[in-house]
Amino acid sequence: MMPARKLLSLLAPLLACVGLLAIWQAGALLLDTDSFPTALDALRAVPSILTDRESLINILDSLRRMAIGFAVGVAVSIPLGLMMGRSRAVASFFNPLLMITYPVPKAALMPIIMLWLGVGDVAKTLVIFLGVSLPVIFHSFQGAKAVEEKMLWSGAAMGLSAMQRMIRIVLPSALPEILTGCRTGLVLALITMITSEMIARQSGAGNILFNAMDMGQYDTVFAMIIIVGAMGIGFDAAFEAFRRRLVRWSEPRFDMPLSFS
Amino acid sequence: MKAVPLRQEIPAEAGRADSRAQAAAMIEIEGVSQTFQTSGRQNHLALSNISLSIADGAFVSILGPSGCGKSTLLYIVGGFVNPTEGVAKVKGRAITGPGPDRGPVFQEFALFPWKSVLGNVMYGPRQQGVKTAEAEAQSRRLIEMVGLKGFENFYPKELSGGMKQRVALARTLAYHPAVLLMDEPFGALDAHTRTRLQNDLLNIWERDRKTVLFVTHSVEEAVFLSDKVVVMTRAPGRIKEIVDIDLPRPRRRAELLLDPRYQKYVVDIERMIDDTGEDGLPP
Repeated sequence: MMPARKLLSLLAPLLACVGLLAIWQAGALLLDTDSFPTALDALRAVPSILTDRESLINILDSLRRMAIGFAVGVAVSIPLGLMMGRSRAVASFFNPLLMITYPVPKAALMPIIMLWLGVGDVAKTLVIFLGVSLPVIFHSFQGAKAVEEKMLWSGAAMGLSAMQRMIRIVLPSALPEILTGCRTGLVLALITMITSEMIARQSGAGNILFNAMDMGQYDTVFAMIIIVGAMGIGFDAAFEAFRRRLVRWSEPRFDMPLSFS
Repeated sequence: MKAVPLRQEIPAEAGRADSRAQAAAMIEIEGVSQTFQTSGRQNHLALSNISLSIADGAFVSILGPSGCGKSTLLYIVGGFVNPTEGVAKVKGRAITGPGPDRGPVFQEFALFPWKSVLGNVMYGPRQQGVKTAEAEAQSRRLIEMVGLKGFENFYPKELSGGMKQRVALARTLAYHPAVLLMDEPFGALDAHTRTRLQNDLLNIWERDRKTVLFVTHSVEEAVFLSDKVVVMTRAPGRIKEIVDIDLPRPRRRAELLLDPRYQKYVVDIERMIDDTGEDGLPP
């Protein structure tokens, strides 16, 4: 038999979800307006969206763009961040560029990007890529900068070239920090995915959501919010599990304070 | 032919011995100075005109107060730092960078935390192109030699400081460097662990008599381990004196501590360091 305390800590997140839905339900019943459907109505709309062929194609389109934007963003940002962390020259070259891009909401660039690249996949994927890049660059940079000099010296004494040291010492050494950046990047990819589709309506999960909004199908709007939110939690939890497996060797100080898994 | 008086032979003999010593010198440091730029854009002279020759197979300690540049000297021999002036040579060739002929062991251990104990020790041999199976067999033997049998699959974070330093030593020995460069290797350990590691290091060293350059600020440690103790002055670091430690080997701690010759070396060297005014005040 499971101890009561452990059972409680397992049930706690579930209780929180149920509680939230109950408040929603009560609030919606109390307000009784069309624009705020009850939790039950919204939940009832979820399966109908997920079984609709058209909607599924839209959602898969979104996920494809998100996956490509995230993958390319990570593939470019990790090497860049690591090089910035190890070379003052590279860091001073890219730093002003990043400082300018950092505070600009990536969705604000959408109109210009659309002007140049149209409203198709390329523009939206580019915005996702931009959203992912900054946290990954920043954390890779931090991780590479913190690599112990003596570890690199030990590698050099074994005969590792500068390139080998970068790939075989700096990269694994910075991995816990890099993955922290990737985790933030993954959530940002989802956020920029929806915002890009909000601006360039053509396909995608964001498109379903805002079309339903235009047509006053508020239960669909709320159902889409639930679906997107669930995707976010799912991705984050899966990534966190993957991250833990990858950096099991690392000191506990790299553990994150908040985790959904 | 007349017999040459024995006395007259001595200078020639000494000369020959000297040239033999030259030929057998593993490390030669010639007129090395090191200047660092401090944050205040001032030049800080860390090492001033150091010349030192270390014979093949010798255990030499560099002893001095903190900030005397003794670690810097070791880094120059390691090829990690380029001297501002002068030249350091290993086996007669000028040092231009790190290489597997000089294996460092650092106070900070500097193990690869993402590798197991076995993975750390195998890293060097694998890098040198030794086949995996052979590298593993060698590494397992080394791990046993440093007393860590049974810990092969542990990660560094799961080990104590003393164990980490044993792994670091095994990792360096694994690629067979001709010279061991030890930078205050036992400085971060508690007294008990430190003593045990000193004993074990001597036992390991006595098997293959690698050249060891050992940086420390402990007089007892230097005398206990070394053939020669290089005493340095406060910054800028200069060689104050080189003391030959003429104590029999193999050395046993218990016997040595009672040996008046050992005690005299320790006291004499402590005096030399006192004279340099470690705390910056006149003695």
